[in-house]
Amino acid sequence: MVTPALSLLAVFLLLPSVYVAWLSGHASTYGQGAVFVGWQNYATIFADRAFWRALVNTVVVVHIVVYGELLLGLGLALLLAAPMRGKGMVIALLLAPYAITEASAMAMWRAMLEPDVGLINQALLGLGLEQIEWATERWTALLIASLVAIWHHLPFTFLILYSAVTTVPRELIEAAAIDGARPWQRFRHVTLWVIMPALLVAVLFRTIFAVRIFSEIWLLTEGGPARLTEVLSIYLYRATFKYHEFGSAAATGTIMLLLCMVVALPYLWRLYDRLVRHA
Amino acid sequence: MVSRRALLRMSGAAAGLAAPRIARAAEKLVIIGHAVHRTAATSGPGGDVTEGWRRANNVEIEWLTFGVEATNERALKEANLAQGNADLVFLLDRYTGPQFTALFEDLVPWMARDPIPDFAEFPHGMLAAHRFGAIQAAMPFRHATHGLHVNRTFLAERGIATPPRTLDDTMAAIEKLSFTRDGGRVYGLVINMDDPSTPIDWVRAYGGDFITPDYKVVVDQPGAVRAMAAIRDLFRRNLMPRNVVNMKTEDVITFMQQGRGAMTNQPFNRTFNYNDAKASKFPGQFDVLPLPTGIDGKPIPAKTSVWAMAIPRNARRKELSWSLLRHLSLPESTVLEAMNGNGPVRPSAYADPRVMKVVPYAAAEAEALKSARLVVPGFANAAKAMDMFIEEMGAVLLGTKEPQAAMADLAGRVRPLLPA
Repeated sequence: MVTPALSLLAVFLLLPSVYVAWLSGHASTYGQGAVFVGWQNYATIFADRAFWRALVNTVVVVHIVVYGELLLGLGLALLLAAPMRGKGMVIALLLAPYAITEASAMAMWRAMLEPDVGLINQALLGLGLEQIEWATERWTALLIASLVAIWHHLPFTFLILYSAVTTVPRELIEAAAIDGARPWQRFRHVTLWVIMPALLVAVLFRTIFAVRIFSEIWLLTEGGPARLTEVLSIYLYRATFKYHEFGSAAATGTIMLLLCMVVALPYLWRLYDRLVRHA
Repeated sequence: MVSRRALLRMSGAAAGLAAPRIARAAEKLVIIGHAVHRTAATSGPGGDVTEGWRRANNVEIEWLTFGVEATNERALKEANLAQGNADLVFLLDRYTGPQFTALFEDLVPWMARDPIPDFAEFPHGMLAAHRFGAIQAAMPFRHATHGLHVNRTFLAERGIATPPRTLDDTMAAIEKLSFTRDGGRVYGLVINMDDPSTPIDWVRAYGGDFITPDYKVVVDQPGAVRAMAAIRDLFRRNLMPRNVVNMKTEDVITFMQQGRGAMTNQPFNRTFNYNDAKASKFPGQFDVLPLPTGIDGKPIPAKTSVWAMAIPRNARRKELSWSLLRHLSLPESTVLEAMNGNGPVRPSAYADPRVMKVVPYAAAEAEALKSARLVVPGFANAAKAMDMFIEEMGAVLLGTKEPQAAMADLAGRVRPLLPA
C-alpha cells in the first residue's frame, strides 16, 4: 500500500536531494563536466564573509518573521474567536494579502517606501520626521523586508491558529473559570495546551519557509547595499544564476537544508512527544 | 457505421491533401535575445530587416525575449542541453567568458566558408569582446556606448548655458542641478549601481580603471581612489539619490522621466526613453552628448557593451542560423538596424544619410565610440569581480570603508580571480 507513496517520495525528494549532495562535492558550470573537488566548495563558502553575513541575516529575519507572525496570528485568532460583529469582513481583509503575488506586493511596498516621493516617506517628512533609510541601512532594510513578509504570510499562520483556537472546548474554559483561573491562566493552561500541536505545525512550516526567504529581500534591495542585506537564498541565487557555479550553489543548498533540519528538529521532537509518545 | 477500410481511405486522402501544405510550411527559427534586438531587427524607421531573408528562406522567426541577465542565462541554459531549441542567441560581453566557448560554434570556420562582406570594418575591440583565444564565440550585433544625458529644462532653470564639457564643469553642474523643484528633490547626477557599467565612466574620468584589457587590476591606484572619494562626496552632500546604492537601470529611467534626475551617463539610445512623450514629464527636453573630458583633459573613455550573436553547438539548423547571422551583419542591414535605434557595429553606418536623419545622436555616438572601452575584459570570474566592485563601492558610499582601503580590498579580492 505504501510503496507508490514511498516511490513518489524517492523520485521527487530523495533523488534530487542525493543529486544536490553529490553536486556539492563537484565543480560544475555550463559547458563543462562536473569535476570532483571533495569538500572544496564547502571550504570556499565557509571562508567567504558574505556567506556568514547572509547566515546571520537569515537567522535574524527568520526570528523576526516567525515570532512576529506567531504573536500577531495568535492575538488575532484569539480576538476573532470571540463573538463580534463584522467578523467575516475582518477575516477576509486579513486573508487578502495571501492572494497577492510576492512580486506585486513588493513593488507596491517599494513604491510606498521610495525615498523622497513614496507615500510613507512623504507622510514622515510631512510630520517633520526623518525618512526611513531602508536603502542605506542594513537592519532597517531587513526589518522592513521582515515586516512585509509578516504582512504577506500572516494569513497562513492565522488560519492554522484560528481553526485551532475555535476548536478549544468551551467546557474546559468554563471549568477553569469556575475553578478560579484568571484569563491569562485560562489561556496558558487550557487554550495554549489544546492548540499547541497546531502552533508547533505553524512554527515548523513558517520556519522552513522563512529560511528560504528570497523575493521580499531581492525585490527590495537585491541583497544590497554592499551585499549587507543578503540572505542565504540570495547567496545561493548568485552562485547559480550569476556565477554559474553549480557545485557551490549545491553546497549552499545543502547547508540551508541542514539549517532547516537543525531549526525544525526541536519542534518535530516536541510534536512527536506530544502527539505520539504521550498521546 | 464507418468501416475500417473507409476510415483508412479517408485518413489517406486527408494526409494527401495536407502533404503539399506541410511541405510548403515555413520552418521556424528560434532566437533568444533582449527586446532591443528584436526591435532593432524588425521595427522602426529601418523596417523589418529580416523580412527579405525570411521570404527567401521560407523561415519564420520566433523571438524569445528576456531581460539582460535572463537573456544570457537562458542562452547558456539552452546551449547546455543535449538538444536545444535555440538556433541563434544573443550574449553580452561581460556575462560570457572562455569557460562557455564549448557551448557555441566557433564562427571562424563559418566565416571562411561564407564570409561576411566588408568584415574588416568590424572594430577589433568589439570582436575581441567575444573572442577567447582563437575562437570567435559570437559575432557583434550591437554596442551600447555611454553618453551624457542632460535635461535642458533644468539647465536653463539653473542658469547653465551649455552642458558641461569638462570634469570640473560636470562636478559644478551636478551641484547646481541638485535643487528642490515643485516640492520635490532633483538630483544633479543619477547612476545605477547594479553593476559597475555606470560608475566605471567616473573612475576613468579620474584617470583610473578597474581591470585593464591585459588583466591587470588597477583599481587600487590613485585614479580610482580619487573617483570613489568624489562620488562619496556627491552622495554625502545629497547631490545623488539616497537609494543610489540600490538603483538599477530601470530606476534611472524612472528618475529621468519623472524629473528627479538632471544628468546621467547611460547608453546613447536611452534618450528615446527619456524623451518619450508617453512616459516622460520632459519629452523632447533631453540632450545626449559624448562624456566630458576627464581629469587629464582627454575625452573620458565611455563604457561600451557589445551584444553579439552566437550559434549554440546543439542548434539543429546551423546553416540557417549562420545565414541569418550573416544577413543581420551585412552593411545594409547594419544601417537599417541603426535606423531602428541599434548601436551599429560598423562605424560606416554613422555616415549614412538615412541614419543621420533619424538618429539625432549619430555623430556624437560615433565620436564616443572611438575611445570607448568595455567595463571589464572577458574572463571566467568577471561576474564575481563586478559584484565585488559594487560591494566595495557601496561600502565607500555608506561610509563603512575609506576609499583607499576599499579599493585595496577590492584589488586583493579580484586578483586571485583573474586568468594566470
